[in-house]
Amino acid sequence: MKHPSTSPLSILSLAYGRLLQGLKALGLVMLWLMMMVIVLDVFLRNVHLPGLPQGLAWSNELCEFLLYLITLCLSPWLLRQGQHIRVDIVLQVLPKPVAYALEWLADTLVLACCVFMAYEGLQATMESYNSGALSIKTWVTPEWWSLAPLPVTFTLLGLEMVWRMQRLRQAPVAPRSDAVSAS
Amino acid sequence: MSDWGQAAWLMLGGSTVLLMIGMPVAFTFIGVNLIGAWLYMGHEPGLLQLVRSSVSSVASFALTPIPLFVLMGEVLFHTGIALKVIEGIEHLISRIPGRLAVVAVVSGTVFSAISGSTIATTAMLGSLMLPVMLARGYHPTLASGPIMAIGAVDMLIPPSALTVLLGSLSGISISKLLIGGVLPGIILSMAFVIWIVLRVKISPELAPQEEAQPSLKGWPRYRLFVFYVLPTLCIFAVVVGALAQGWATPTECAALGAFATLVQASLFKVLKWSSMVKALEGTASISGMILFIILGATTFAQILSFSGASTGLVQWIIGQGLSKDLVIMGMMVVLIVLGVFVDQVSMMMITLPIFMPLVQSLGIDVIWFGILFLICMQMGLLLPPHGLLIMTMRGVAPPSVTMLHLYQAVAPYVLMSLLLLMAVFLYPPIATYFPALLG
Repeated sequence: MKHPSTSPLSILSLAYGRLLQGLKALGLVMLWLMMMVIVLDVFLRNVHLPGLPQGLAWSNELCEFLLYLITLCLSPWLLRQGQHIRVDIVLQVLPKPVAYALEWLADTLVLACCVFMAYEGLQATMESYNSGALSIKTWVTPEWWSLAPLPVTFTLLGLEMVWRMQRLRQAPVAPRSDAVSAS
Repeated sequence: MSDWGQAAWLMLGGSTVLLMIGMPVAFTFIGVNLIGAWLYMGHEPGLLQLVRSSVSSVASFALTPIPLFVLMGEVLFHTGIALKVIEGIEHLISRIPGRLAVVAVVSGTVFSAISGSTIATTAMLGSLMLPVMLARGYHPTLASGPIMAIGAVDMLIPPSALTVLLGSLSGISISKLLIGGVLPGIILSMAFVIWIVLRVKISPELAPQEEAQPSLKGWPRYRLFVFYVLPTLCIFAVVVGALAQGWATPTECAALGAFATLVQASLFKVLKWSSMVKALEGTASISGMILFIILGATTFAQILSFSGASTGLVQWIIGQGLSKDLVIMGMMVVLIVLGVFVDQVSMMMITLPIFMPLVQSLGIDVIWFGILFLICMQMGLLLPPHGLLIMTMRGVAPPSVTMLHLYQAVAPYVLMSLLLLMAVFLYPPIATYFPALLG
């Protein structure tokens, strides 16, 4: 019998984990960038320097898009870390086999949510692309640019759910110890 | 059963069941939203609208303070400035019963003024001060209680990520909510200090009798306060001052505050690459999960509204002929009970779609209601058995501190929070005086 850490599935899972780490790093860079853009905008608006614009008209729009992308980049990594918070008060008081069965039920439902959201996200993106819909704010951009990352993220989340279920299969018959609250 | 009744049961009951079987909060809302959008928003068009709403929910400039406020606290903690702040305050406080417990409360109040994360404040104080207090002979309840309690107050004193979220989801002015939390937060901090002193006077065995007092005199005694505590408080003054004066929006204040914290850490030469990465990772964990819940849950309120469930429930409650005060008390009871079971973000997501139309229909002051809501959530952080800060403290406390100690430790502070809730309920200016100055 192969050691779990050297099985092809585990190697694939590790490689996938590195991809999620990369997305997390991208999210952190965008977080940093968002802060600097807002600071620069406030600085330019309040300190009138000759030759420089009085504020960045596009900063709000860029930050909104960055915040959206940060959320999408971080969420698959957070799922791997068990950091998507949940309420485990019932799982903790139930007999371990029952709690373990509920973990499977919850995982299956989450996987179904990911599949539906990825599918509907793709539909919305295709529909927007085909209709040539535009997002008209400071910048005029095709609407599908903002829709397209959503199905990608839910596909990544769905794949991570598969790994998560594989880890649950190998884990003791008991509830997981995931995060239970935010902030 | 009426159509709105069925929708309300499906959406509110369904989300509760999914939460209780352990589904992550964000996916719970996504699950019920998918079903709700299919049933009540015209099948496929409803699902496509759900996708578009998910995108626009987090692509919102009003939400950008959430990661930035969290980053402020994370930088403070990962660079070690927090430790210097504690030392600076400890040097100033002497000859007072339960001295280190008082130092924990005062330090926590200072951290609250720069940290937007209750977990970060509690974990930091717990890991730094709890072992020292236990080693010096403090009873575990006196050592752990003030730290958990002041960690919860972090949510009331700006900057606060959860206050920004409450404002964003409810449509209440974020600036006014942030400013409105200052006075209740300070009142609680002062009440905690008075309680600690009284408690040790009544039961001297809870704290060491011959506690080592700071022996520094003159400039060395004040040096850390001047170099570390004052600059930290200056950042708070800049953030809140700019908000109060209307010079900058909450978002801009958050960015300026985060940037100022980084500049402070650079000037103190403690901003290393490793500490910066840790601070950003801590920020990513907390704000990423909050933002993803918003992405999943925003359509929840729309479906409740579209299906008629919000209006139906609101009309039903108004139809009972209850007074405003009774309705508000009912809402507070619901929040306190929810606080025992679910986290703060879920509390907002589940209740706001019903509570806000009710508040507006009855003509209730939204700022007052927002502050009452915040105090209830702050209590929820401390309520056994699953209060977030009890769990956070469990994570950093040594094994000698039992869960029973922690439950006993938070009891008086929960009672004080309840008294504050009643005080704000009976005398609204505690919550509305400062926001009213904003105009």
